[in-house]
Amino acid sequence: MRLLQFCTWLSGTDFSVWLREAPYPYPVLLIIHLMTLALFGALAILLNLRVLGLVLPRAPITYVLQQSRPWKWTALALLTISGLLIAASDPLEYYGNRMFWISLGLLALAAVNAWYFATRTCRTITLWDTAERAPSAARWWAWSSLGLWIVLIFVGRAIAFF
Amino acid sequence: MIAEALPLNPIARWEWVFPVVESVHICGFTLLAGSATLINLRLLGVCLRRQRISEVAAGLAPWMWSGLAVQIATGAFLFSGDPGEYLQVAAFRNKMLLIIIAALFQFLVVRRATALGREQAPAGSDGLIALISLALWSAVLLAGMWIGNL
Repeated sequence: MRLLQFCTWLSGTDFSVWLREAPYPYPVLLIIHLMTLALFGALAILLNLRVLGLVLPRAPITYVLQQSRPWKWTALALLTISGLLIAASDPLEYYGNRMFWISLGLLALAAVNAWYFATRTCRTITLWDTAERAPSAARWWAWSSLGLWIVLIFVGRAIAFF
Repeated sequence: MIAEALPLNPIARWEWVFPVVESVHICGFTLLAGSATLINLRLLGVCLRRQRISEVAAGLAPWMWSGLAVQIATGAFLFSGDPGEYLQVAAFRNKMLLIIIAALFQFLVVRRATALGREQAPAGSDGLIALISLALWSAVLLAGMWIGNL
């Protein structure tokens, strides 16, 4: 209930009205959101494909990870900021949107998935860093991550549909 | 109007088909733009420097071109929902033009700059080529988003 009150208050602020009604903020935010989503998603997919041995099989996995890290964090920061601002442009609408909450839940799952890779899957990475194809546990992780991202795109798109 | 004339087109018949196809369109975009971006960033020399340019380009090219194929197929499907309407939208016409330019630039210019053996004779224009390609693909996204916005 307190969250609903917060959304009602936020929705009435000049800032939220400006985000919602001025001609440029919303499309600009949406563009930033989609471009950084493309960059972040692409790098996540690249890592998954590398683990599966489908792309750059001769590059060590830790090298791909380390090279994509700064881009990923930059993209993630912009993605989060633009996403929060998009949500702030019409808080009441998103509050009542089931798909919005599902996509947040999936985002949390994606974070757990990344954490799992960093702390569990990578524990033995020195053994398969330069292997063309990672062992099956890591490949299962890659498939789960790929699937999660695809579902996230569908649910994200569905926010605007419902 | 044309959508009414084509009642058998699933995109005109069921409301949910459009967002589903559009979601596939966004997945394909991620594949296309993501691989093109990485090739260009490598050409710019800002990431994956230990891998040869030609190796990065050759490894990602099949993903990039399959992404483009997904985009053309799903894009044509989305377009078929209301062709007359789309043709009247300037952003749509700009996007089609930009896609042709971006794809040709990628195929003719970037592909040559990232060809096997190019490492021996890097050209000073490589960075510029990468930046132009990045700008072109960004413009495609921009125009695409504007179609929905107008």
